[in-house]
Amino acid sequence: MVAETAKKFEALELQAHKLMSVFIKAGHEAVAPAIIQPASVFLDVIGETLRARTYVFTDPDGEELCLRPDLTVPICRLHLERHEDPTTRARYCYNGPAFRFQPSGSSSSHPREFRQAGIESIGAVDLERAEALTLVTVIDALKAVGLTDIKLRFGDLGLFRALLDAAEMPERWRRRLLHQFWRPQAFRNELKRLTTAAIDLPRDAPKALLAELDPERPSDAEKRVARHLDAEGIEIVGTRGVAEITANLLSIVADANTKPLSIETATLLEAYIGIVAPARAAGARIKDLLREKNIDIGPALDAYHRRLQLLTEAGVDIARADFEAEFGRTLEYYTGFVFEVVAPSLGAQSPVAGGGRYDQLMRQCGAAEGVAAVGGAIHTERLLAALTGGV
Amino acid sequence: MSATQDRLVLAVPSKGRLMEQTTELLAAAGLNIRKVGNARGYRGEIEGLANVDVAFISASEIARYLKTGRAHLGVTGEDLVREQMSDWQDRVEILKPLGFGQANVVVAVPQCWIDVRVMADLDEIAVSFRETHGRWFRVATKYLNLTRRFLSSRGLTDFRIIESLGATEGTPAAGTADFIVDITTTGETLKANGLKVLDDGVILMSEANLIASRVANWTPRAREAENEIIACLGL
Repeated sequence: MVAETAKKFEALELQAHKLMSVFIKAGHEAVAPAIIQPASVFLDVIGETLRARTYVFTDPDGEELCLRPDLTVPICRLHLERHEDPTTRARYCYNGPAFRFQPSGSSSSHPREFRQAGIESIGAVDLERAEALTLVTVIDALKAVGLTDIKLRFGDLGLFRALLDAAEMPERWRRRLLHQFWRPQAFRNELKRLTTAAIDLPRDAPKALLAELDPERPSDAEKRVARHLDAEGIEIVGTRGVAEITANLLSIVADANTKPLSIETATLLEAYIGIVAPARAAGARIKDLLREKNIDIGPALDAYHRRLQLLTEAGVDIARADFEAEFGRTLEYYTGFVFEVVAPSLGAQSPVAGGGRYDQLMRQCGAAEGVAAVGGAIHTERLLAALTGGV
Repeated sequence: MSATQDRLVLAVPSKGRLMEQTTELLAAAGLNIRKVGNARGYRGEIEGLANVDVAFISASEIARYLKTGRAHLGVTGEDLVREQMSDWQDRVEILKPLGFGQANVVVAVPQCWIDVRVMADLDEIAVSFRETHGRWFRVATKYLNLTRRFLSSRGLTDFRIIESLGATEGTPAAGTADFIVDITTTGETLKANGLKVLDDGVILMSEANLIASRVANWTPRAREAENEIIACLGL
């Protein structure tokens, strides 16, 4: 299988041609971003876990490059290259190879070279409409090549963020929980830590120094930390300066002086994350859960229902969709609605398509600020396998 | 291949303290290594053992020889074995720690990070670091695999490894990395570069080991030679 990648090439090309014509008809411009990408964009943005699966190499100029592990980041770079104003509205579609290391013994539905066909919609102001349209277009493309028996999985990080915003806690705890959301075990540990009274004080900063630090007076604190380092003969080495170190010491001091997170809030967050329900019923489940606690995340729930409504109006069978609060945890750049399309013959471990909202990715690729963006990609080898039976 | 292919290949470090200590240890066990050919040669034999070829190569090369089975026995550090083989237990067997070449592979951060003492502290500042600098932490090391495995096993996923082939301890000061994973014996070099080892940041306590390859061609003659060496070393 590894030696021969072009075996089904003709069949894949034929299929891709049909997918692309659905995308183009829906208003997407066909583009072909570079296969070889600067590694730093992927590695600094997405982190080491993806690096472990990305083919990275150094060219004769010493430049660190990679074979693109997906097409969404390359499309963001292409968009930024074309448009001075990154919020410029644009719709793209593509078909081409992506590369990810797979440990030996991986199943044939996880090849290390695979062809993705997909769409990206950038700068659309009506978020739910853009999300619904993206999913509908992907489903239409699947239908056009003959895949009609599908199931859908939804997640919504917007709901989780709204819940965090509504729960009572310092802003920096929200940031930390949101960051840890991607890692279930770390998230549980963080929740536990925040609900426990005793917060560890850093052992290399003497108690006397910590006692002097006043979160209300950061510049005074910075001076005191600088004086301490000077007195100890410790040089400032590296990128983190005194201001940054002080800011962290202050937040630790502030945490130690803050009432721990209430057990109720922690339980609520865990209960929310545990929700798995048919998409239609999930909204009501969430509402019930929050009503007991007197927490209101109205706008986020409205957006959730409106999206379902738009999908239904466009003919998507929502009865075939499940909502999982935890879904989306493995894909770090998604920020809102996430979806997967599953062909029952291949199973949930090998979805034929997936996508979602990624409003911060453009900023991480170099734009001054985030840009509303949503996209979806089809794993074309799996799609072909689902249609022809067997991988 | 030559007629010597069924003999045992013993890989020995080709330079420095590691070579001296290895030859001393073998000599003390009655195994005298003699270089074959000119004095700078890279091949040798052991007096009285007809079925042994000695190959003088660098310690990291020895790990590769054992991994691929080009050498039957070799003296090298556990750090190199674990770094170069993800499946090292399938490929080699550690026969005997030799009591020299001790060094630790550690996570070291700038001393001025007085808010960081343990790995969990690193994870905590990863978020604000990224908000401030627009990128994840960079970790300089020559131990790419050991580092990746250790950091992920501690739940730290938001970092980027920068391969460093020398003077790793200088990379935080130079600004090319934020902290490092490196080998240290006394910690003096780290200290001189304004770095400190995290309390739970010892990844591996390594020393020189006599190591056998499981994937080498173990002919009866090679096996016999191994038994003779092992008997001399009192294993």
